[in-house]
Amino acid sequence: MTQLQQPATTGPGSESPAPSVRQLTFQWAGGPAIPLLSVAIALVLGAIFVLLSGKDPIAAYSALIQGAFGTPYDITETIVSAIPLVLTGLSVAIAFRTGLFNIGAQGQLLVGAVCAGWAGSQFAGLPGVLLMPIVILFGIGGGAFYGGIVGLLKAVRGVNEVITTIMLNYTIVAVMHWLLQAGPMTAQNALGTPASTPIGAGARLPVIVPNELVLFSRLHAGVLLAAAAVVLFWFLLWRTPLGYQLRAVGLGSRAAAQAGIDPARHMVLVMAIAGGFAGLGGMIEVSGLFGRVYDGFASSYGFDAIAVALLGKNSPVGVVLAALLFGAFVHGGAYMQSHAAISSNLVAIIQSFVLFVIAAEALVRSLTRRRRRTPKPVEAIA
Amino acid sequence: MKRLLAFSVLAATIVASCATTGTPGPSASGSAATGAHPKVGLVTDVGGLNDKSFNSLADKGRKDAAAQLFVDTSVTESKQQADYVPNLTKYAQDKYDLVIGVGFLMQNAVWKVAKQFPNVKFAIIDGAPQDDAGATQNLPNVANLFFKEQEAGYLVGVIAATMAKNKVGAATHNTVCSMGGLPIPPVDRFIAGYQDAVKTISPDTKILNGYSQDFVDQQKGKEVGLKHIAAGCDILFQVAGGSGLGYIDAAKNAKVYAIGVDADQSAVAPGTVITSALKKVDVAVFQTIRSIRLGTFKAGDNSFNATNDGVGYGTLDKVVPADAKAAADKALADIKSGKITPKDTVQVK
Repeated sequence: MTQLQQPATTGPGSESPAPSVRQLTFQWAGGPAIPLLSVAIALVLGAIFVLLSGKDPIAAYSALIQGAFGTPYDITETIVSAIPLVLTGLSVAIAFRTGLFNIGAQGQLLVGAVCAGWAGSQFAGLPGVLLMPIVILFGIGGGAFYGGIVGLLKAVRGVNEVITTIMLNYTIVAVMHWLLQAGPMTAQNALGTPASTPIGAGARLPVIVPNELVLFSRLHAGVLLAAAAVVLFWFLLWRTPLGYQLRAVGLGSRAAAQAGIDPARHMVLVMAIAGGFAGLGGMIEVSGLFGRVYDGFASSYGFDAIAVALLGKNSPVGVVLAALLFGAFVHGGAYMQSHAAISSNLVAIIQSFVLFVIAAEALVRSLTRRRRRTPKPVEAIA
Repeated sequence: MKRLLAFSVLAATIVASCATTGTPGPSASGSAATGAHPKVGLVTDVGGLNDKSFNSLADKGRKDAAAQLFVDTSVTESKQQADYVPNLTKYAQDKYDLVIGVGFLMQNAVWKVAKQFPNVKFAIIDGAPQDDAGATQNLPNVANLFFKEQEAGYLVGVIAATMAKNKVGAATHNTVCSMGGLPIPPVDRFIAGYQDAVKTISPDTKILNGYSQDFVDQQKGKEVGLKHIAAGCDILFQVAGGSGLGYIDAAKNAKVYAIGVDADQSAVAPGTVITSALKKVDVAVFQTIRSIRLGTFKAGDNSFNATNDGVGYGTLDKVVPADAKAAADKALADIKSGKITPKDTVQVK
């Protein structure tokens, strides 16, 4: 184990051999420059697009911000939009931490939603105390199973997880068409809307912001589950031997194997955990927002999650902040379209610029490094 | 490091100051605040504004109304299912007079929001408010905009039957067919009217029908098309959205004829698409906005049909003979006068 201290401590962000809450905030504080810079660059590039289309970028961005945070209702809606992104973001991030690229958060979220929706309507009569844990377990379990397949294929046959996750994303979409359009889960009287039978009242996550406080708020208890998942992510990775081993595999699977950690076993495990996070996200959408599973209800949670994880530097705090930013884009973007007459596709453009700039992080880094060279700054932050 | 931080702080400040200078934002929507004009908000479903179908037609109706009716209008695209409720809510909170949701995917969302804003009027295209259990619950402030698809189906059926009977051009086998996406009521009403017309005009014409089980996948539509063509079909009527484009493509490759649906699809495959069964969503949106102006808004079911120009047939290809057009126009007049009532149940499954 002592051998391993070396690679672990030189890894990005790991500052001291004894990690702490302080270390985590430090870890984020040490790295926010590049995420912030990439968001800023993306916003500037987006503004150029707005100018090119003959509109006013200041009006666009003020509408975007006002739409996302203008009223208490908007703030709750921004959080509602961020919740699934937090969970899929954690899913992608934990895989990254172990050196795997999970493009399958989308599919894992859908499987979680389908399993939770099935359990929620199958056992609809049960009281909430029983039903809610069942539905949560089905959501997590469904996603974990779907992610686990990927880890297993990678561990046993060396199949590239990028390929399998993409393929499995398509598979569940097709399965949902079958289940929900005219299959075993299809609602009897959905009037042509492809959807499942509703889940029981006990499986619904209650709205936690009272109507007296924020009228019409949809902010549901899923936010608490998401918060718990964030804490679990941190605890698992930095407070348990398993988390230590997962990170060790991520930093170098051969070195980890030398130290007696079995990378294959950990691949299966981490993909199951990643799937579990995404599956919980699907369960939360079904239980918190819809009360049933709609065919094709989630268009891009799992794909935005890749940007969220990268922007958040795979850290718990970073993922939450990045998810909130993207949630603000989603909710504010609609307002920008209705009130500043700027296509909400601008939001998609900005998001893709963010992703592009992050992907070009190496470039940005080399630019900043050159700038940094001349006056030697004080490195300490904390 | 410090410099870099300073730079990002600077960037953040610029962004933030942009935000604060623009905070009195809604005035950007300008005229909407003048009060005199009714305000109308349109919320698309996940198909988005460029779907060349329901959403783009609805937006055309909105723009027509803005140009002709002294109303202030605005549109919001929904990116995913979870957006429907907040997008509708936002317009209602901003005290819009009429909020229109496009498509049956929004039935539950319209019910949820309209119930909370009894003083705002809502309209939903091709649907009715639907409660959490999936049951239709009409609300006193929601207009359900339905179409008599069987009338549009009947009109194109008259054209198809006349051409099949007289063996015009490539239509040599006296066989016509149709393909739906899924056997759901609005789809089946088109097909029912089509079959009714064929049976009336040309009883000995063979009729085939099928479903692609999909509204998106072109390949599935193409497969059904190839099967129908192999069975001797030479006029193919699609009622399957994107999947139907594959059906049209099969007709194009086999050099036989196709009939489009919803929007005018003559441009999809000129020379192949002989006409389209039009479901004039733009007219329905325009008329509903007009009803707000005139104070004639009617909650509950509103029917758009041949009489109020809510359905019709589209551009005719030059292969369509004059007698087929004359027969269609006569059928249109007969439907309007009540002499013909096209059937709304499918006879050939």
